[in-house]
Amino acid sequence: MVEPACSSARRSEWWRACADYLGLVGALVVLIVIFGGATRHFLSADTFRTIANQIPAAMLLATGMTLVLIVAEIDLSVGSVLGLCGAVVGVALTQWGWPLWAALAAALATGALCSAFNGLVSVRWRLPSFIVTLGMLEMARGGAHALTQSQTQYIGPAIGGIAETHLLGLSLPFLLAVAVVALGQATLSHSVFGRHMLAVGANEAAARLNGIDPRRIKATVFVGNGLLVALAAIVDTSRFQSANPNAGTGFELQAIAAAVIGGTSLMGGRGSVARTFLGVLIIAVLNSGLASVGAKDELKRLVTGAVIVAAVILDHYRHRLAQQTNR
Amino acid sequence: MNTRRPSGRWGLGCGVALASAIALTGCKPGESVRAPATGKPRVALIMKSLANEFFLTMENGAKAHQRAHADQYELIANGIKDELDVSRQIDLVEQMIAQRVHAIVIAPADSKALVPVCKKAHAAGIIVVNIDNKFDDAVLAASGVRFPFVGPDNRKGARLVGEYLARKLQPGDKVAIIEGAPNAFNAIQRKLGFEDAMKAAGMNIVSSQSGYWETDKANQVVAALITEHPDLKAVLCANDSMALGAVAALRAAGKLGQVHVVGYDNIAAVQQLLKEGKILATADQHADQLAVFGIEYALQILKTGEAPADRETPVDLVTAESLRRE
Repeated sequence: MVEPACSSARRSEWWRACADYLGLVGALVVLIVIFGGATRHFLSADTFRTIANQIPAAMLLATGMTLVLIVAEIDLSVGSVLGLCGAVVGVALTQWGWPLWAALAAALATGALCSAFNGLVSVRWRLPSFIVTLGMLEMARGGAHALTQSQTQYIGPAIGGIAETHLLGLSLPFLLAVAVVALGQATLSHSVFGRHMLAVGANEAAARLNGIDPRRIKATVFVGNGLLVALAAIVDTSRFQSANPNAGTGFELQAIAAAVIGGTSLMGGRGSVARTFLGVLIIAVLNSGLASVGAKDELKRLVTGAVIVAAVILDHYRHRLAQQTNR
Repeated sequence: MNTRRPSGRWGLGCGVALASAIALTGCKPGESVRAPATGKPRVALIMKSLANEFFLTMENGAKAHQRAHADQYELIANGIKDELDVSRQIDLVEQMIAQRVHAIVIAPADSKALVPVCKKAHAAGIIVVNIDNKFDDAVLAASGVRFPFVGPDNRKGARLVGEYLARKLQPGDKVAIIEGAPNAFNAIQRKLGFEDAMKAAGMNIVSSQSGYWETDKANQVVAALITEHPDLKAVLCANDSMALGAVAALRAAGKLGQVHVVGYDNIAAVQQLLKEGKILATADQHADQLAVFGIEYALQILKTGEAPADRETPVDLVTAESLRRE
């Protein structure tokens, strides 16, 4: 199995990369084993198909959030922008009579515009994105309610096709989200732009001195994030065949939690889209398992919170270990 | 009376709003006894979340009523950002006291926390009418106040929905309840109503979990439940948004039509699903009439000076058949 050309340095690098994922995969396996033991039907193909069907929106949001966090920014508006994009799809289809492609294009444009606003305002006036996106959180939610007049829009099968298209037993949204995760990780670790993102996040001044334009990088990341949010909105609207103006409330915190469980630094300069995906899986398995057990609501929240904190503590040690072996 | 500590990021805004409200109405702090009404009485309607279709319908109903009776009263309608924002609703009541309205018609976001500030309004000579969500009887008794209540019996409404569902099931069938927010009075009442009907019909309630009124959360719970209990026959949801999430979970699992879904509130988005039979039944509490009843009560008290008895407003069962009859 050992490749003859593989030097020992290369192999140790490979091992470290594996160890990077080992903690998270281990945690995931432990959760699955616990819930498998506590219920009758958790360990079934149905459970995992259900989870795969539920998480595409969370995967897309968490991927975008990871990229934003890596360039040392934050986007608190993703839940509200998701609600607004969903509202655009719903109203365009049910009230304006637009064809499906036009409604989807309008949603993507809305997501990109909201994020471009976030990115340009925070970059142009050097404002903390925490505050700018907090403002957008309110504006986008207000927009969603204004568009729908606070009424859930029932769309019906017209949009259901997206979530109901299956390839090899997996839904189209899930495959799309997996492709986005793969593309995100490839950009991050194998492209010049990805290197620049990490450099800007780690030390903006140093990056600028090295000829990188942090403003351009950050604005690009924001707009890309907006497109992912719009995709997430389309996916969820298709799944529920309806657009609720309150959709996505609190999703920003779930996305941040998934990114942080996956070891993304809130200070920027460090993170991995693939590990964020594992973070999303951990949260999804936890939600599904606790519901299967029929746990009381107070217990669900206690356990979910505790798992997030425990994961971050574990990641702290993993990170320190990695730094020691680097020396 | 007007000393209040603004809290949180909205505090400053509220403080400014309150200050300008005082400035506009020329209220002197401490001056709490109202002069006899000159001109039309002013009625403040304080609702829960306007982000919720139910309360928006309520507000529109009240505004339409005011337009039709513009010679009889003025209406100041306010809501809060979300149903859990209890402190903002307390702020609103204080603002209305400062504006010296003649009556406050309130749907409390919390059946206990709003009692003290409403007592303050009462002491300032303002008529308080409780609508939609009833104040906690024990807290009212402890505070020594009583406010007339005008609203639906959520437990009875949920029982109606549950009884209709039971006719489609066999005794011993497995059912699950998706509750609303666990701290909400109406959520608890609806859950109890569902339980009453299911137990009376001999059904087996295998799980009762909260979906926090939301489509997405209910979807996650229902998806897990139908995997864990493959022979589940029905899901009873405490509102229609959660019923939409339940339908999505069944559709994804290919079980649409095998598991019955019922909801509550009769929002516009479920009409089509009711007609198609994907949602079996829901309940209509006539949100548009609810605030109107409360306002009429307040006007009546202002005129006669006597507090009438509590009044129960109608809750109707809505099914595919009842929609066809319309």
